[in-house]
Order: sequence, then structure tokens, then C-alpha cells
Amino acid sequence: MIEVLRRVVVRFVTVVCPPPARADDTIREFDQFLAALRPAARRALRAMLVAVDQGARLYPRARGRRFARLDDGTADAYLRALLARSGLVQRLKSVVVMCYYELPEAKREIGYEPGPYIAEVSRRRLERYGDELR
Amino acid sequence: MTIIQAADIANDQHAECGAVVVGTGAGGATMAAELARAGIDVVMIEEGGYHTTGTFTAESVRALRTLYRDGGGGMTLGWPSVLFAEGRCVGGSTVVNGGMSWRTPARVLARWAEEADAVTERDMDPYFEDVESRLHVALQDPETIGRDSELLKAGADVLGWQIVPNRRNQLHCAGTNNCNNGCPTGAKQSMLVTHVPRALAAGARLYTDCRVVKITGSGVLARFATGQKLTVRARVIVVAAGAIQTPALLRRSGIGSPSGQLGRNLAMHPNANVIAFFDEEVTGWHGVHQAFQVREFMSDGIIVTANNLAPPMLAAMMPAHGRELGELMAGYNHVVTAGPLIEDDGTGRVRTVPGAGPQVFYRLTDRDAARILRGVELTAEVMFAAGARRVLLPFDGVPPALTLREVKGVLARPVPKRSMRLYSIHLMGTARMSRDPRRGVVNSFGEFHGRPGLFVTDASVFPTPTGLNPMETIVALALRNARHLVERRHQYGV
Repeated sequence: MIEVLRRVVVRFVTVVCPPPARADDTIREFDQFLAALRPAARRALRAMLVAVDQGARLYPRARGRRFARLDDGTADAYLRALLARSGLVQRLKSVVVMCYYELPEAKREIGYEPGPYIAEVSRRRLERYGDELR
Repeated sequence: MTIIQAADIANDQHAECGAVVVGTGAGGATMAAELARAGIDVVMIEEGGYHTTGTFTAESVRALRTLYRDGGGGMTLGWPSVLFAEGRCVGGSTVVNGGMSWRTPARVLARWAEEADAVTERDMDPYFEDVESRLHVALQDPETIGRDSELLKAGADVLGWQIVPNRRNQLHCAGTNNCNNGCPTGAKQSMLVTHVPRALAAGARLYTDCRVVKITGSGVLARFATGQKLTVRARVIVVAAGAIQTPALLRRSGIGSPSGQLGRNLAMHPNANVIAFFDEEVTGWHGVHQAFQVREFMSDGIIVTANNLAPPMLAAMMPAHGRELGELMAGYNHVVTAGPLIEDDGTGRVRTVPGAGPQVFYRLTDRDAARILRGVELTAEVMFAAGARRVLLPFDGVPPALTLREVKGVLARPVPKRSMRLYSIHLMGTARMSRDPRRGVVNSFGEFHGRPGLFVTDASVFPTPTGLNPMETIVALALRNARHLVERRHQYGV
């Protein structure tokens, strides 16, 4: 991701993700997700990030600053205003928080640890029905 | 067993065969297996990768990247924009669906026969029986039913609503709740573990990571993800790329339908999710994905289900961000996500936009919007009846509701269509079948009108939405089409 966009994404991540935002790891997931999209969708997402960044200049409380340069409170207020109006920004937010909750630490914090559960029920299945499954 | 993946090849490839099958989902894999077992030389081409059971994990975003088209983030153009997901891997959407397996309802088949002169219940019954036997369609073992499903049932029982256990294509499903990321035990009888290996065992060849660019006069032209070309000469071409990609492929190949129906009539079964919070710990990721369906309102085009969502998916749906999102997600193990699936009126269209590829245009009709609102209210009602303390509704700008009365209050005011957060995983109808070439794109055996030897075998051919999970219908139609073709194989020179 080019550096200018990265600064926008870092700002976006720190506003939309729960604290701690784990920006580096979330952005790594986000980059991988972008890579799976078709080029047109990638271009659209990047264009939207630029629009979010530059659009802040028109937001009165931003006093002409880009989104990437806003303080936490102003960035949050600006994004809240955008989310209320734009389905596309909502989708962008959805992708970013989705990437955040893909992180093992974020999952663990909310009590979601499927690995041991899957191992246990898979073992039980083999124990009970192994003869039929072979 | 011949699987040729993009990583295995260095040069352009050429193949000759009796039948080339584009897509390895419910329709394509079934057709390929049947033709191969009849001794026909078959080549399968799959745009996605070959991912085996052992590679499936509970990492949802990884699954979106590797098993779905465009990360599962297709969006319709129109108000509201509906999020839709298509599988893109060997086995297609059967790898990532919930494994619900239902026959086409009799009233839907009656409508297909009457309106489209397509197939009847009598035509289809033997094929349904065959599908159910091959794919082990059965009720779930009781020990695998999770608390979220039990709560849906408890709510429906309190209200006296009809609720049925799901029939699923599974062989002693373990209840890992990982259907949408690929079944990690292989219990789900997806095409990946059934008809694809069956086709390969009968001699079919499979090319993966390879996108069919166009249908030519003598076969298909495709391109691997690594850039090499694949040219296949075939006497029979079977297109089974799903209701979005199938019409797009036919159109970019210069193939039109005199009926004017190619790419039209897209139905999507729009879904909406109500997020219900309970005092008790639900741990909805323990137990099978979607054990029941509320059928009380099916005649009105509404079914209600509970489907646990993994944290990334639930977070994506939450109407909050930052600290507030964190607070909501902290209650993850107390949540049931449930919602209506709507039998829609089918007003979508697939068109290819230069530079952007196939695009889906979809307009939610007033009648469908009313069904969504009613379905959301019914879902909230059943959740409160089960003991929910509050619900989040799938509409922008609406506060959480603590009682059914508050939900009714929200719904009593106009809810703009554009505020509805809808999604779809059932895409149907863009190459509808009819015996009459003026009304349908393909005949009742999936053969393109006016193009002998070109078949379509996926949910594109549905004349109307099924109102239920469509996989069994697709497989049954593919079996029927395959047997028809095999019986007339000499006519096609295969």
C-alpha cells in the first residue's frame, strides 16, 4: 500500500476499531483482503479512502485538514457523519472491522476460540461414528 | 486423478474432450461426474483454487479471500445495495454454504410448470431421491444442535409457530459451525468431497485457477491465474458458473437468447439479520450452523432461521464502531443472529460494464421490502419470546429495541429501502428454462435454445426463486440434464 494511503488507513483503523486498534496487524489483514479483490474493486476501495481523506477538508470541525491529520475526537465525529450518509463508507468500515476481528487476540478477548472446540467435536464424531465413516 | 493447477504449468495448454464443464459447483460437478461415469471424456475448468478439507480453518477472512469471489463482497447496484457472496473454489458454493438440502417446494414446481412450461414435480421426484441418497441428506444428529438453534426453537414453540429441523447434506456432521469457511471434517457432503472426486475417479480432468474467457465455436478459451492460456476443444459445452457469471460468460462470447431473457430475472432471496442479546451464555459457535427453519410464514414468502456468525462477520454487521463496537462485541457469546429469508419477485439483471466486469443491478420491489419488514418483526418476536433482552435491527439509524413494542414502533414509521442492510447467498434465474424458446433461454434439460450441445446447469435456469435453499434443486436438475445428454450422446458425438 502506498505511504499516503497507509496514513489514511491507519487513521481509519484507529477510529473504527475498538481500542487497542492493533493497527499494524489489522492493516496486514486488510492488505491481504484487498489483494483478493478484482482490480476494479481494489481501485474503488482506494479511491474511497482518498475521498474520505480529502473530504474531511470540507468538514467544518476539521478546519481544512485531511482526515489523516485529524485528532481522535474530530476524526470520530467526521466519520460518524459520513457513516450516517454513505453506504459505501459503511462497507469500508465493515471490511476494516472484519479484518480486526480476524486477529486471534481480538477473538480471544471476546471468548471466541474455536480451535479446541473443533478438535473436540471432530474427535467425538470419529469415536461415535468412525465405523460408518471408514 | 488429474488435477492441473496454475502452479503446475509453465506453458499454454491444449485439451480435447467430449464435454467441457465450466464450474465445479453443485451443477457443474454433478454434470461432470455423470458424464464421466458414462464414459464421456470430460474436462472441468474451475476459476478458483483446489483447497482440500485439511486446509479449512475457522479463519473467516482467510476463507473469504480464498474460497469466495471478490472476498465475498459482491454488491448490487440499486437501492438498497445488497451484499452477495459467490463461492469460487473447487466445489463452488457447496464448499461454503450451510449445507441445507431441500427439495423444490411443490407449489414452486407447479408454478414452473404452469408459467414456464419447465419441469414438474413428477419429472423431478426421482432425481431428488437420487440426490438425497448420494449426498446423505438427513436430519442432524441431536448432540450437534447448538444453543442458538435451541433458542430459535424455544421461541417458535412459545408462539406456536411451525418450525422444522433442517435436512442437510452431511455424514454425521460434527457441529463445528464452520460451514461458511469450509467443513474441516469433510462431513458436509459438498461437491469437493463427492461429485468432483467421483468425476476424477471416472477419468475426468480438472483445471483449476483458470478462468474461462469465452466460449468459441469449438470449445472454450480460458486463462490461468498465472497468465497461460488453456484452449479446450469439445463437442459439448456445459456452463455452470452461477447466476452472475454464467450470463456474463455467454454474453461476452457473443451468445444471445432470442427470448431476450439472458441476464434478466435475477432473484436473490434477500436476507436480513437481527442481532439478539441474551442474558444467558449462548456460545452460538458451538453446534451446527442453522439446525431449524421457522416455516410458519413460508406461504407468505418468509422463512426465519438462526445462523451464528463468526466475529469478523458479526462485527461487519454491527451498527457501531470504535469503543461502542468493542462493547457490543464483548457480548459475542450472548448473541443469537437470526433473520428472514425472502422469496423475492426477481427484478435483478446482470450486465457487463466495460472495465468493471459483470455487474448486478437489483431493485427491491415494494412487496419484497414489505416482506423484509415483516420478516424482521417476526424474527424480533421469536427472539423476544425466547428470552432476548434487546435486539439490533438491520436498518441504518435505528436504535436498539428492548421490547417487541419498540420494534413495532420502529416499523410503524416508514423504513426507507436504502436503509436496509441486506445480503444474499442464493442467486438464481438469469438463464431461465422453458420449453418455449420465446420465453426461456434454455429448454427443460438445460440446453440453450438454438445452440445444440451448449448446456447451462446451475441456478441460472430457475424460472422463479425456490423460496428455500437451492442446492438440491441444482443438483437434481444437473442429474436430469446429464441423463438426458447421455441417452442422446450419439446425437452430440460423444
